[in-house]
Amino acid sequence: MDLRDSSPSSTPNRDGNAGDDDGVLSVTSALAKDAALYFQSRKFAECVDVLNQLNSKKENDPKVLHNIAIAEFFRDGCSDPKKLLEVLNNVKKRSEELALASGEQVESGSNIGNNITSGSKGSGTTTSLPASNCASIIYADEFDSSVASLNIAVIWFYLHEYAKALSVLEHVYQNIEPIDETTALHICLLLLDVLLACRDASKSADVLNYMEKAFGVGNVSQGENDLAASVNASESPLSRTLSEDPLDEMFSTLDIGGQNLARHTGLTSANDLPRITVDRSISGVDLKLKLQLYKVRLLLLTRNVKLAKREVKHAMNIARGRDSSMALFLKAQLEYARGNHRKAIKLLMASSNRTDAAMSSMFNNNLGCIYYQLGKYHTSAVFFSKALSNCSSLQKEKPLKLLTFSQDKSLLITYNCGLQYLACGKPLLAAHCFQKASLVFYKRPLMWLRLAECCLMAVEKGLVKGSWAPSDRSEVRVSVIGKGRWRRLLIENGTTRNRHVDSVERDVWALGDDGQPKLSLPLARQCLYNALHLLNCSELSNSKSILPSDSSLEENELSDGASSKNSNYKNLPSNDSKASTMPAALINLNGDLKEPKGGTNQEGIQTFISYYEDICRRENQMIKQALLANLAYVELELENPLKALSAARALLELPGCSRIYVFLGHVYLAEALCLLNKPKEAAEHLSIYLSGESNIELPFGLEDCEQWQVKKHIDCEEANVGAAAAKNSSPEGLEDFMFLKPDEARGTLYANLAAVSAIQGDLERAHHFVTQALSLVPDSSEATMTAIYVDLMLGFIFQWCG
Amino acid sequence: MGKKMLNFEEQCKIVNLLKSSSEQKSIEETLTEFFTNPKLRHFNVCYSLSLLLQDKMMLSSTERLVAFAILHRSYSSQKSAANPFISFLVNAACDEGAENYERAFILHLLGFGNSNSSKEFLKQSASEYIKKFDPSSQTFPQKEQLQKQYLEKAHPEPYACLLKSTAVKNVLADPDVPPGCDVNSAEFDLEPGAKSKLGSGDRDEALSGLIANLSLEGLIPHWIRPLPPRFPVDEELVWLNPDNNHELQWDQGMCADTSRGAAVRDLIAKALRGPLAPNQQEQVLVELANDPKLVYHCGLTPRKLPELVESNPLIAVDVLIKLINSPEIAEYFTVLVNMDMSLHSMEVVNRLTTAVELPKEFVRTYITNCISSCENIKDKYMQNRLVRLVCVFLQSLIRNRIIDVKDLFIEVQAFCIEFSRIREAAGLFRLLKTLE
Repeated sequence: MDLRDSSPSSTPNRDGNAGDDDGVLSVTSALAKDAALYFQSRKFAECVDVLNQLNSKKENDPKVLHNIAIAEFFRDGCSDPKKLLEVLNNVKKRSEELALASGEQVESGSNIGNNITSGSKGSGTTTSLPASNCASIIYADEFDSSVASLNIAVIWFYLHEYAKALSVLEHVYQNIEPIDETTALHICLLLLDVLLACRDASKSADVLNYMEKAFGVGNVSQGENDLAASVNASESPLSRTLSEDPLDEMFSTLDIGGQNLARHTGLTSANDLPRITVDRSISGVDLKLKLQLYKVRLLLLTRNVKLAKREVKHAMNIARGRDSSMALFLKAQLEYARGNHRKAIKLLMASSNRTDAAMSSMFNNNLGCIYYQLGKYHTSAVFFSKALSNCSSLQKEKPLKLLTFSQDKSLLITYNCGLQYLACGKPLLAAHCFQKASLVFYKRPLMWLRLAECCLMAVEKGLVKGSWAPSDRSEVRVSVIGKGRWRRLLIENGTTRNRHVDSVERDVWALGDDGQPKLSLPLARQCLYNALHLLNCSELSNSKSILPSDSSLEENELSDGASSKNSNYKNLPSNDSKASTMPAALINLNGDLKEPKGGTNQEGIQTFISYYEDICRRENQMIKQALLANLAYVELELENPLKALSAARALLELPGCSRIYVFLGHVYLAEALCLLNKPKEAAEHLSIYLSGESNIELPFGLEDCEQWQVKKHIDCEEANVGAAAAKNSSPEGLEDFMFLKPDEARGTLYANLAAVSAIQGDLERAHHFVTQALSLVPDSSEATMTAIYVDLMLGFIFQWCG
Repeated sequence: MGKKMLNFEEQCKIVNLLKSSSEQKSIEETLTEFFTNPKLRHFNVCYSLSLLLQDKMMLSSTERLVAFAILHRSYSSQKSAANPFISFLVNAACDEGAENYERAFILHLLGFGNSNSSKEFLKQSASEYIKKFDPSSQTFPQKEQLQKQYLEKAHPEPYACLLKSTAVKNVLADPDVPPGCDVNSAEFDLEPGAKSKLGSGDRDEALSGLIANLSLEGLIPHWIRPLPPRFPVDEELVWLNPDNNHELQWDQGMCADTSRGAAVRDLIAKALRGPLAPNQQEQVLVELANDPKLVYHCGLTPRKLPELVESNPLIAVDVLIKLINSPEIAEYFTVLVNMDMSLHSMEVVNRLTTAVELPKEFVRTYITNCISSCENIKDKYMQNRLVRLVCVFLQSLIRNRIIDVKDLFIEVQAFCIEFSRIREAAGLFRLLKTLE
């Protein structure tokens, strides 16, 4: 029997114990040991065999079932994660039921004395173990389902279902203290990855902070980096032993017995380092590197470039001589975030072991990002498609590994592709990408905005049924009908307004050949509403969590900030944060100005997290402006002036609206009013840009357009090299800024004021404005049409019909 | 290009209709023939005709009459006010510049004057009507009168967009054709076989061209509606980093020895009932120190804490310190603060304050309880004992900066004054004074 050969260590053990007193227990535990050994040596088929023997002895034991499911999953080549999830969920449910039942038992049978004696033997036969009566209500060891929960979360994580993983993990994390070291560590690490994937900076910081203390990372190194910890260790006993003799004297006289006074000092560090016995499956330095890298990711997420730079350097130091591709990628990301594109490319080149499909897909994707930012959209397209083909070769790899699922980043890359197609003016392809990526991105307002932009671009380019090709739209046509004395002139304009309505409305939700909704204005409207809805939801939840911390600014922030931010974490972090502010406070007291290098202290974390939350809030505001502007535009196109009116109003009411969107808001609002027969009010809205009687100011300046321009930062470090490079690299896609120049915007205002004046019958004024407009936007067919209209009305063209 | 108002079939229909007006067919016949075609869109046809009628020179006189008749007939089943072209008809009837026969014809159509007039006049052809027309036989009413009669009961003015109602027709006479040129003069007519001369042209061609190109929309002032800019791509591109590997975990707890810590559980159970022997106590502390998780399995619950505190305060301290990060620690503190004041509980709290950071609120409440216990105790000896203990306790807390004196100043001061007979209370009072 090969079982014996492959696990020699277990055989004597089993033989020795089998005949002895506690028959069943020792047999099962021996089998369990065998199974574990097989599992570790990745002999999953044998492992399952042993487990099945075990299962026949301990029927329906959740832990056995759990391990069977895991082993079978590996044995079958990780092919069916959904099935594994199902089994694990059942195991978890069963464990919880059992735990609950045993908890009730404790409550009812509170007669301690009797059971204790039987328990002391430690050889209780089966489930009605002494453990159950003594076990605290918090935690029943035997029915602990934390490993099952962890595994469930792992699978969700690999399937990119971060929200589901998070809800499982958060539940476990709330009660993490009793969980054994190894599992707790894995839970924390996974939770960090999930939180970072969800871009939840503040919770990530909490967990990171907890881990640094709980797993005693500071102590693993020589302590050089964890000034805070060392200061704390040396400082606190000192301050505490100030408690002078009177007390001890008193207590001893009062007959308390000071047997264990010696322990007194030993206790001091207890709550700082409760998990000093770190799990050895991850070596101290590895763990330290891991945490450091998480920290860098958190800092990058929160756009704290400066700190990230320092921390990534530190990470590189720790990583010396190890596999540091992650560190290199992060460093490249940092340089990318700082706009040092050349340097970022160099780092990526250095890191990549490009034989690995997973790595090269990431490598290519990141290069694509860099070239996109450089304005070289076609180059970036090449890299994105390379990255995608890497992904598809990854999917073909056999045997499947669990990691393969998460390494398939094709949907993320597809999103990048969508952006790149949009930048290249290919709305149909872009929309296809976004629709694919929406499986992952459906909760992001920005994704829906992009989809709406695809619709608008497709309509604009005449790619949608019922819209006019740009060549038809942008010109005024005069055709001659008849000859000689019967000659008539027919003046037509491409931009006749009701071009879309009837042709498009018919098949609003028409699906294309690929089963995706066809691009259309109604689809754009739907997307914009989706985005607005998501944005409002997130605002609502944000305001809930932000309010308390806003009211308890500064000082309270230190101690209560973490706990008030997220009630889920109420117990642990509030204690933790207090503990961690202590060292910082001590440092300040001592006038020691050196910052703790390794440990970002809580105060700093709070500042940069609130800074990050500020950024997010501002970004959301920007998105909201764009959404409302687009919505107003779409409603006008769909001839819903009332809805356009309310969207434009909402846009103008947004606090801190950028000048470009204010301009658009006024223009759309005025047009909607005009369509609703309120030319006077419309004129008033446009007139805010009037200075004096008839001169219009620039509605916005070039500086307002900056956001839209391709960024070509040159970092000070490589200013010399970078400047030359930047000069050579003129963006391919013409000007990236696709909007009106300030002067053109001014012309637009003139033209629209002319239209409004004409409608009101003030033809002189209309004539003045339209002349101005044509000098600024000579190519505008609309302005030309208005000019023709005004001329006709003024009778400049001799004898017209009617 | 704007949408064409008429489809091809409709265009042919109209052209034929207009042509046939010059024949000797009666107007009635023409109309009947026209309306037997169910595919015609009446409004579009009528609107096109009205546009053509506005161009005074395009249609011949007979064509005009037929066109007017169609405008009227299309909506004759309803009240006159419901005819969308009623005001057009009324205006045409009152147009001083128009031919009188035309005006009279419209009045006939409208049934003005002789309301029960038969439709006899339609039985003749258009040209016959013109020929037979006797200008003296017709009086022309004032516009107001007509408006009153035909428009009064009209529906309220339907909603019309100002932008569009200000439209002018987008068909213009070619400005190159000299004004005042009489298109009907024979001057331009082509002699058969002669070379075409300047200004000649085929009216039919122009007419069908116009009909083919008429659109519902006129020329209106145009509004520039800028397309919103694409949202800037900032942090939106997804940067990819290598994943951390998270392996599925084997549950090591499977069939594990559940007797873990059984000895400690026994000892803790014993410790609830009475003080342990020093060696037993040592064993508990050592085992708890060896296995940091054991504390969660030692069988202690918040409800049992007071017994442990009273019997074995040092074990209680150790356990509480180890539970400090437990989610249940708040519950333990609540029990601790609410149990009867005693030497042991005070010792436990004192040791806790020196070992871990306690919640401020807990310490405060505990002190308040201490003070009130001192006041309520009856036994003088016990009271002295307790007061001395509380004083030493408070001094220690103050010296170690565990509490901020300001928070409790008045309470503690009152306590010192009440028990000033006791040496330690006086000492505490002096300490307070120095801090003031």
